[in-house]
Amino acid sequence: MSDNEQVITTLCAPHCGGGCLLKVHVRDGVITRIETDDDTDNVQLRACLRGRAWRQRIYHPDRLKRPMKRVGPRGSGQFQPVSWDEALDTIAAELKRVVQTYGPAAIVHWVSGGDQAALHDGWRRMSRIFCMLGGYTRPWGLHSYEGGIFAELTCFGMGYTAHTRDDLLNSRLIIMWGWDPAATIQDTNTAWYLMQAKERGTRIISVDPRFTASTSAFAHHWIPIRPGTDAAALIAMANVMVMENLQDQAFLDRFTIGFDAFKDYILGKEDGVAKTPEWAEPITGMPAATIRRLAQEYAAARPAALIAGIGPGRTAYGEQYHRAAITLAAMTGNIGKSGGSCGGKSWGPHPLGKMGSGPKIPPNQVDDTVPDPPGKLPNRKYYIWGHGIINVFRLTDAIIRGKAGGYPADYKFLWISNANPLNQWPNTNKTVEAFNKLDFIVTEEHFMTPTARYADMVLPTTTFFERVDVTMSASCPVSYAYRRKIIEPIGESRAPLDFATDLARRLGFADYNDKTDEQWVDAILQESPLTDVAAFKRKGFHKIELTGPSVPFRAQIEDPKKNPFYTPSGKIEIYSRMIADLNLPNCPPIPKYIQPWEGRNDPLAEKYPLQLITTHTKRRAHTQFDNVPWLRELEPHAISISRADAAARGIRDGDKVRVFNDRGALIVPAKVVETIMPGVVDLPQGAWYNPDESGLDRGGCANVLSLDRPSPGGALPSNTALVQVEKA
Amino acid sequence: MQLAFYFDQTRCTGCYACAVACKDWHDVPAGPASWMRVTTIERGKYPHPFIAFACTPCYHCAQPACVPACPANAISKRGEDGIVVVDRDACLGKDKCQMCLEACPYRAPQFGDEADAKMQKCDFCIDRWAEGKPPICVAGCPMRALDAGPITKMESRYGKLHEAEGIRYHEGLRPSLVCKPRRQVYLASY
Repeated sequence: MSDNEQVITTLCAPHCGGGCLLKVHVRDGVITRIETDDDTDNVQLRACLRGRAWRQRIYHPDRLKRPMKRVGPRGSGQFQPVSWDEALDTIAAELKRVVQTYGPAAIVHWVSGGDQAALHDGWRRMSRIFCMLGGYTRPWGLHSYEGGIFAELTCFGMGYTAHTRDDLLNSRLIIMWGWDPAATIQDTNTAWYLMQAKERGTRIISVDPRFTASTSAFAHHWIPIRPGTDAAALIAMANVMVMENLQDQAFLDRFTIGFDAFKDYILGKEDGVAKTPEWAEPITGMPAATIRRLAQEYAAARPAALIAGIGPGRTAYGEQYHRAAITLAAMTGNIGKSGGSCGGKSWGPHPLGKMGSGPKIPPNQVDDTVPDPPGKLPNRKYYIWGHGIINVFRLTDAIIRGKAGGYPADYKFLWISNANPLNQWPNTNKTVEAFNKLDFIVTEEHFMTPTARYADMVLPTTTFFERVDVTMSASCPVSYAYRRKIIEPIGESRAPLDFATDLARRLGFADYNDKTDEQWVDAILQESPLTDVAAFKRKGFHKIELTGPSVPFRAQIEDPKKNPFYTPSGKIEIYSRMIADLNLPNCPPIPKYIQPWEGRNDPLAEKYPLQLITTHTKRRAHTQFDNVPWLRELEPHAISISRADAAARGIRDGDKVRVFNDRGALIVPAKVVETIMPGVVDLPQGAWYNPDESGLDRGGCANVLSLDRPSPGGALPSNTALVQVEKA
Repeated sequence: MQLAFYFDQTRCTGCYACAVACKDWHDVPAGPASWMRVTTIERGKYPHPFIAFACTPCYHCAQPACVPACPANAISKRGEDGIVVVDRDACLGKDKCQMCLEACPYRAPQFGDEADAKMQKCDFCIDRWAEGKPPICVAGCPMRALDAGPITKMESRYGKLHEAEGIRYHEGLRPSLVCKPRRQVYLASY
């Protein structure tokens, strides 16, 4: 290492659920290399391929270097660079015009997890500006795991249910249900702890339509299952447990309510259909004997962790799958116990780690004063992304139809932070229609993404290497990182809080930001457990020492009188009065299998016989990193199709195929595999939408085919779509 | 002394972190040259597929085929640690030669896509080794599936298996690699 080279530690957290340590080599103001964690005292947080590829993203020739103003039709890609003054003046004038003409509800802010940090994060700083202006429309709900949230809020009354990953080492059996952490990460060391568990002799079973890298590396058995039928398999397992008297009845009696109602359903007393393995076999494609054996093994192995991946929850009636998984975890007495799992969603924010949140956000006049809409759980607003009166999956429709369609407002102005919604909201062609209806769209970006191409003003933002910030990783171990400014901003890109301050001033809010970034970092850290902030900043990193796994609901199980569950009954609610009160169609108060739309029994399957799932690929974090050459060359974007389905269509490996349904069509290469269930095709989500003149997507964006119809309990059904595939 | 890699194939999830870390450390652009390659081995038929991944850098063979194959004597094996290195100034370039690539059963010699590219390949991170650090692929593997050190140490620590799925041991070359192979068991239907 040469003398003028520095190595600076920072934290990568680009929307994968992980938080990994990067040691960044800098010479003469240029990043030359990136290493990862080599800590010899603690568990290391080693970065994945994406973290290792940052250099090509930071210095990518396509990085936006100046604000860009749209000069051609939306989507045409015709932009001209403008000064920051012109960009912010234009935006400020538009904001004022929209608020004066239509009221503050006409402003919509969409923010996602693309750039997670305390200071420059999208939500807080923009929310403050919009609230100072009188409020704005913020959609509630999460694309990733709303079905899981619904299940946890109804069964447990709260959504912080994940054990820290080190607790996998205490399980005797791990069931990976639709869970592929080797690709999705979901906490830096998830795969590493799974491997250690396997090496210690833990049995691991994978239930998944695909034989994934995780299945291959960790599992002793692979049980293929048809997408969207997971609840049926779990309910049939419950039936086996009851018929063979395997359930932990003492646990159920003590800690749950509503098991008898559920029992009546699974035994067929309610509707005359016993939910036996033989009932589930034709639905799920899992042999009845397999379901029976899995139920027996899960009931017998204690503690056992049923890790319910959030992918199967992203289906029609996905909330039923999550509620069924929690019910099984209760039936096997695995809740609140080390080595067990409460059956909740496989990932979500941990309540561990604490730091301040910066300046206070004024009340949002648009939705704080308005009661929640019907159909929304009363406790939803207290969990992440819970405030608001428009459901996130209705947003496209709301923008298109507005008041005339029964929505609370006409929507005119969309501000997008850390997100690529044109690509990632379901039903891309409908999203295009919605974007074309808006008066003005602003997005903050590193690149001219598919979303940016439809925006009126694109603001070039810095990466976290180019500004000061602080962030926290809920990985195992939980860690804090001071993100030093490592290099100067690329081009004229600016730190988000910096241009937000400039915009606020133009709107008349001179007091919007009275601190430097460093002062904010110090203020935010005041509310953290870090006692010596100066030392932390020098080191750049702090890991909270692991003192054993964090096990949610341990207190509730050990002393239920003193620590009731957060539900209305104080118990785990297998029957939920809260759900009954919502009175939603196809959303019963006990978990049930409901035949999904666009499943294989839908009449539409005659026209579109293949079930599409839209999984995660390791070389992207959603749409991020898709343009990084080091990553692109590793695996081509392709749709995986079984050999049987490919042969029936005359498709050979590598052939270009047309994938289509009534919502859209795209062209992508086919990957003919033995690792996917026949009848199912997998197109990893996140590839950049790139329509040709006829509207055919040449980029292979999976959401061209997905449906923007939320499940009654809120699940986004991005893994529920019927398609046809033919040789192009 | 002979340096060697250890590769635990049972741990590898084919995540490519090693391959990207290598390109970043050695500043190798995207393109055909890749000092560390991760290949996927797929066998079997649905519903009994088998997948394994093979990490292939240069195995710095005890008797490397590339060294005698090079007509320009551009490839040599270092006496002190057995690392096989290339003198890129002496290399004749891919348009004229590629004899090393033809000789190596592991396809370790790499050529970029520039005109008359000179051979490049894994150098065991000589620069890092000199500082007492393991090669970048080893240091960064999220699954802790790689290790590196003197072959005697690797063998005493991990055993004497030198083959894995997708990686054959060539007696005549004696690649400096210790393996824990993923056994070819097809995951039985449950």
